[in-house]
Amino acid sequence: MLEAQGLSKSFYGTPAVTDVSFRVESGEILGFLGPNGAGKTTTMRMITGFLAPTAGRVTLADVDVTEKPLLAKRALGYLPETLALYPEMRVREYVSFRAELCGVPGRDVKAFVDEALGKCFVNDVASTPIGNLSKGYRQRVGLAGALVHKPKVLVLDEPTVGLDPRQIVKVRELIRDLRNDHTILLSTHILPEAELVCDRILIIDRGRIVASGTPETLRHQMSQMPSVTVALKGEVPEADAVFRALPGVSGASRIGAGGETRVLLDGESGTDLRESVFREVVTRGWTLLELTPRQASLEDVFVRLVSRDADVEADTQPGVDPGPQGPAAGTGAAP
Amino acid sequence: MKAFAAIVKREFFSYFVSPLGYLVLTSFLLVSGWVFMVLVGALNSPDTPRMALMSTFFTNVFQWIFLMLVSAIIAMRLLTEERKSGSIETLLTAPVSEATVVAAKFTGAWCFFLFLFVPTGIYPLLLSRFGGLDLGPVLSGYLGIALIGALFISAGTFASALTKNQIVAAILAFVLILGSFIIGVARDFLPFPGARDALSYLNILEHMDDFSRGIVDTRRILYVVSTVVFFLFLSTRALEANKAR
Repeated sequence: MLEAQGLSKSFYGTPAVTDVSFRVESGEILGFLGPNGAGKTTTMRMITGFLAPTAGRVTLADVDVTEKPLLAKRALGYLPETLALYPEMRVREYVSFRAELCGVPGRDVKAFVDEALGKCFVNDVASTPIGNLSKGYRQRVGLAGALVHKPKVLVLDEPTVGLDPRQIVKVRELIRDLRNDHTILLSTHILPEAELVCDRILIIDRGRIVASGTPETLRHQMSQMPSVTVALKGEVPEADAVFRALPGVSGASRIGAGGETRVLLDGESGTDLRESVFREVVTRGWTLLELTPRQASLEDVFVRLVSRDADVEADTQPGVDPGPQGPAAGTGAAP
Repeated sequence: MKAFAAIVKREFFSYFVSPLGYLVLTSFLLVSGWVFMVLVGALNSPDTPRMALMSTFFTNVFQWIFLMLVSAIIAMRLLTEERKSGSIETLLTAPVSEATVVAAKFTGAWCFFLFLFVPTGIYPLLLSRFGGLDLGPVLSGYLGIALIGALFISAGTFASALTKNQIVAAILAFVLILGSFIIGVARDFLPFPGARDALSYLNILEHMDDFSRGIVDTRRILYVVSTVVFFLFLSTRALEANKAR
C-alpha cells in the first residue's frame, strides 16, 4: 500500500535521512520510532511529497509520488507534526475545506464531513472557531481533516505530542479504531505508544533504520541473554553455587536479603533456565517461592539502539549488542 | 478545479475575519471618499477646467499610491502565513499542484481588492443623479482598476512566496509594485527614442488614462495579463524550490 525504496535526503550536503526502505501492507499500522531529530519528519515529508527526496522513490497505492503527485496524493491523508490549522475557521468549515481540497464531490461533502467529525469525536465543537479549542481537540480536528476524504493511507506525524495523558489515551484509541479503514504510518518518539498502537515498528536513528519488526521480535532480538529471578524460602547459602553449576547458566548473583534467598540468574543465549532450575530446587528439597523470567523491555532495546554514546557499535552491529551485564535497565526515553 | 475554488473561497473570506481586512476596507473608503469629495468640490469652482470627474477619480496619482500600499498589504500574508504556520504542508500534500495553490491564493486576494471598489459604485450613481454620466468610460475605468490591481497583487504574491516574514513581504511587494508603476515614468529620462517607446508600453498611469477615457487597448490588456502570469509563474517556482531544498 505504501512503499519507500532507498529514500535519502540531504540538506545542503548534510545527510538527514540515508537509504530508508520499508513497506506498509494494507490494513497495517507501522510505527516509526526514533528520538527527536532522527529523521522521522523528513522521511514523512518525503512520503507525502512535501519534500523531494535526494534519492529513492515512494509509491502510495502503487502510484509514484514524484512522477504522479496529484494522483498519488489522492490516496493520502496527512497529519503534520506542526499541526497548523486556520484558527479563524470553524471546525466544520475547516473539515469541509479539506474535503473540497481533496476533490470530494460537492454532494458528498456534508456526509463525508459528518462522518469524519463523528469518527474523531469532534461533533460537539463543530461550530467552534478552531482558535478557541484545546490542543487535544485541535489534534482531533486535524485528524478529521486528514481522513475526511477517506484516503487509503494515513500518515500521522507525532499524533499525540503535546497532549495530556487522558487525551493521549483517547487519540491512541482513535488511531487503533482507524485501522479498519486505513493503512497507517505513524511516527512517535514515545516507545510505549509504538508498542501499544503498532503492528510493526521501525526504529530510526540519525537517518538510518537501525531495527525493524513486531514489538515481540524486537524484544526477542534483545532478550538473547534471558535472565531469571529465583526466590527460595529461608536462607540458603549454597544456592548461588548450585545454580551456577547448572548447564546454560552464565552467572548468578544474590539480590536482596532477609528471610528469603533471591538469586538473579543470567542464561546463555537461547536457553530457558526455568525447567532446570525447578528440577534442581525440587531434588534439593528447597521451597520455591518465585521463578520469574525477566524480559528485556522494548525500552531497553530502544535505548540501546539509539544511545548516542555507543555510536560506533550501533553503526556496525545494529540490533545485536547485548552487553555482558544483560539488558540495561535504562529509562532514558521515558515519555 | 474544485480545490481551486475551495482555496479562493477560504482566502477571500479570511479577510473578513481579520482586523487587517476591515482596516484596509475602512481606510480605502476614507481615502477614496475624500478624493471624490475633493473632486466634486473642485467642480464647484469656476476656475476648474471642464473634466470628466470619474476619469480624474480613476487616474489621480494620490489614490494610486494608496492603492499600491493597500495591494502590498492585502498580498503580504498570502504565502508567508501558510509557510510560517506550516499550514502550507497541508495544502501541498493535498492533491493540488503548487501552481493551483498560487493561482487560487492570488485570485482570492484579487477578489478582495475588487471588493474594495464595490462601495465606490455609489459615486457614478450620485453623479448620474445630478448630471450627465457617460457609462462607457466608467466601466472601462473599472476594468483598468481590475487589471492593474491584478498586476499589483500578483507582484505581492511573488513577494510573499519569497519569505516567511509578513513585514518583509509587504516591503518587498511595495518595492516591486512601485517599480512596476514608475518604470514607465523612467521613459522621460531616456535619451534613446526606441527605448522610450518600449517603456511607454509599461507606463501604468498611461494605461489607466486610456482606460478611464473609454479606450480598451488589447496591447495594454496583454501587458498586464502577461506580467501577472509571469509573477505567478515565479511564485510557483519559489514554492517548488522549497520542496527540493
